[in-house]
Amino acid sequence: MVLSRSCSRRTSAFRRSGARALAVVFALSVLAACGGPGNAASGDAGPPRSGGTLAIGIESEVDILDPQRAGGWVSWRVNRQIFEPLVDEDLSVPSGQAAVPPLRPGLAESWEISPDGKVYTFHIRPNVKFHDGTPLDAAAVEFNVRRMWDKSFEFYDAKAAGQTTFVWQHLESVTTPDRMTVRFTMTQAFEPFLRLLPQGGSGSTGIISPTAVRTYGNDNVAEHPVGTGPFKFVDRVRGQRITLERNDDYWGDKPYLDRVVFRPLPDPSARVAALRANEVDMIAVPPPDSVESLQQAGFQISEGAPPHVWYLSFNMADPTLGNKLVRQAINLAIDRQGLATNLLRDTVKPAYDVQAPANAAYVENTAAYGYDPDKAKQLLAQAGYPDGFETTMMTSVDGSGQIIPVPMAEYIQQDLAKVGIRIKLDTTEWISYLTKWAQGTPSGVGWAQQSWGMTTPYWLYIATSSTLQAPNGPNVGRYSNPELDKVMAQAMAATSEADAAGLWKQANRIVTDDAAIAPIVNDKAPYVLSPKVRDFVSASEEWYDLNRVWLS
Amino acid sequence: MIGFLLRRLGWTVLILIGVSVLVFLLMQLVPGDPVRTMLGMAATGERVEEVRHQLGLDRSLPIQYLDYVAGVLHGELGQSLVLSQPVSSILFPKLLNTVILSAGSLLICLLVGIPLGVLAGARQYSLFDRGSMFLSLAGASVPVYWAALVIVSIFALQLGWFPTSGMYDTRNPGGLADVLHHLVLPAAAAAVVPTAVIARMARGTMVEALQGDHVRMLRASGVPERSVIWRHALRGIMPPVVNIVGLQVGYLLGGIIFVEVVFNWPGLGGQLYTSITAGDMPLIQSGVLFIALVFVLVNLITDVSVALLDPRTRKAA
Repeated sequence: MVLSRSCSRRTSAFRRSGARALAVVFALSVLAACGGPGNAASGDAGPPRSGGTLAIGIESEVDILDPQRAGGWVSWRVNRQIFEPLVDEDLSVPSGQAAVPPLRPGLAESWEISPDGKVYTFHIRPNVKFHDGTPLDAAAVEFNVRRMWDKSFEFYDAKAAGQTTFVWQHLESVTTPDRMTVRFTMTQAFEPFLRLLPQGGSGSTGIISPTAVRTYGNDNVAEHPVGTGPFKFVDRVRGQRITLERNDDYWGDKPYLDRVVFRPLPDPSARVAALRANEVDMIAVPPPDSVESLQQAGFQISEGAPPHVWYLSFNMADPTLGNKLVRQAINLAIDRQGLATNLLRDTVKPAYDVQAPANAAYVENTAAYGYDPDKAKQLLAQAGYPDGFETTMMTSVDGSGQIIPVPMAEYIQQDLAKVGIRIKLDTTEWISYLTKWAQGTPSGVGWAQQSWGMTTPYWLYIATSSTLQAPNGPNVGRYSNPELDKVMAQAMAATSEADAAGLWKQANRIVTDDAAIAPIVNDKAPYVLSPKVRDFVSASEEWYDLNRVWLS
Repeated sequence: MIGFLLRRLGWTVLILIGVSVLVFLLMQLVPGDPVRTMLGMAATGERVEEVRHQLGLDRSLPIQYLDYVAGVLHGELGQSLVLSQPVSSILFPKLLNTVILSAGSLLICLLVGIPLGVLAGARQYSLFDRGSMFLSLAGASVPVYWAALVIVSIFALQLGWFPTSGMYDTRNPGGLADVLHHLVLPAAAAAVVPTAVIARMARGTMVEALQGDHVRMLRASGVPERSVIWRHALRGIMPPVVNIVGLQVGYLLGGIIFVEVVFNWPGLGGQLYTSITAGDMPLIQSGVLFIALVFVLVNLITDVSVALLDPRTRKAA
């Protein structure tokens, strides 16, 4: 067996000990230095081959296999293989080739939008069958939409509605003019609608077989997931595995893989060990320290540019942070490149806009977000704080997409100390933090940290609209700018994507000029793959497709 | 004996009621709204309230507690908030997995710990005694998490004898043989500390027992040494050894949570961790209650076994 090789690099791994307990470092470095499946296979592996089981070590347990109710990226990465939305994103294009994944037809073959932007007519793809053999038609789509939106519907589901609020918020009616056509009428033009359909971090609009919902009920359908996607559900043993198999009747590109097994491995060192021992073929979220040694051992690293921003929301009600000059100074006092390289070993990129690069409205702005401590000091003096001030930063100790929030906050603490801003850290574990964060920044707290983002610029509305101030919405700094609200309203009502992007860029600039948010870094979402995994693509999303992946 | 049993059972019930109240109250004190966690960052206040109402979380605390207790008394542990599945259908399989791991571990503790201690005690100050006691001192001082990582790196990664983690093969999950193959390393990791403690305890009591008058008598009567040790002295040291084994089972259950994490063993520990990070109260309540129940039962069994082995202790309880 390949893994029983002696471990010759053990001593070199010792040098990376750092501040951790010696014992743990020893054990980890033994893990890091041994094993591995040899050198990366040479580039030419011939044409794609069918067959095999792809085992994926995922970073946490999936919550539920109900795409409309499920929360979190981890769940959507599984649900996405089983369920599909009307409009989809093309994830076969890597981030390097498309900063924003292009939209492509999903379960809707084509669609028309009325000139006033209020009526969306979708033509449902013919001859598509759910995994239970029932046909996909307009009635099935309507059934799903009503489950997420129509309180009077028999199968209305408050959890699904809670997750997908923003998608359906302007929906006035849904009708089915014929068997294969669905028409949505909105109360107002809503340009982000198409981009919201394929989103999946918090709920999704993946279409479930109505027969399955009727048979098992809203609660139990997650135990019997039936969609239209390239993979079918086989079994789930909580804490151990979720098994999917190829859908041979899939309407699109049929997968090469026979099966996919998602195996939750929440402990990072257990994930690395399972990969090295060939128990899984790829892992998500490798510990940053392990990436280099895994690469040397012949594993492939796949990185993308998902729409992720690790950012700070300033407390606008705070007497000090209410001052724009102070907020601008903070933005200039943080060394984002240093944070990305020194602390996170380039597993992230410095963030230079309030939106992530995977977004049509991205405008790189190094003047506002570059590192310039001298100018920061000037601005502070101008604002009346020549000797700086003291405040508190709220962040979590863990959590989805948060990377390593406490060391990152400490890095920011050091940078700010250099310009005289002394911050105390207020850290909370993830679940409590989420609740606390959603209540809005309390008095005495200068800013709260979060990680988020979407491929639609509409995300900015969710984070900064004056109508969504906490605790009613996620604008936790309670930022309110009528000019911004006006521009965002125009962007949402725009009737072309290009017009909308122009207006959203304008909105980004307003938020940047106001320094309402301090974007810090964008994650690269690295995956580590065994050399036999072929054609895995990291597109600009937090999730991936598997129907083009094959095993050599 | 019957009076003793009834008294112990009465205490067991009271302890479980106490634990259930405590866990319920602790969960209320923990900040963090499970609905907020479930619906994520984009949820509006209005939607959060709607789901809270649907789940009955907007009722008063005493009502929620009584509702929960009424359910438990009817054998209903309620529904997971996040998974919308009956708590029992999620926890029972996990509890079974934890019991499998604990049983495997306990077997190692007993098969290694007691003979090691007895032999070391019988040959006091010999090389075997010194060697095994040094090892057991080291074993008793090792953090479980570290021991687990070292065991993985040696036996799974370098030697490749056993899988690194999990309970079944990822690609081709099999039957009993597959489980046993996966069980060896985590069971051994969890057994390191208790085995060492049991061995040291068994040695100490053995040394003491061999100095007893009855042993001198047996030896004087020409009873073979082997029989002195394994038939007569061993019987005498059983009550304290059973006691320490009982205590070590408690320790084992505590340590197994770490072992479950490192070896990704799908037991109660990992499930509790997931539930706590989601604020899934019904699952946490029942999970903790299960652990308390196991603890209390192990204590009960220990006390009863000691009472059977040593009649003097029956009156004390």
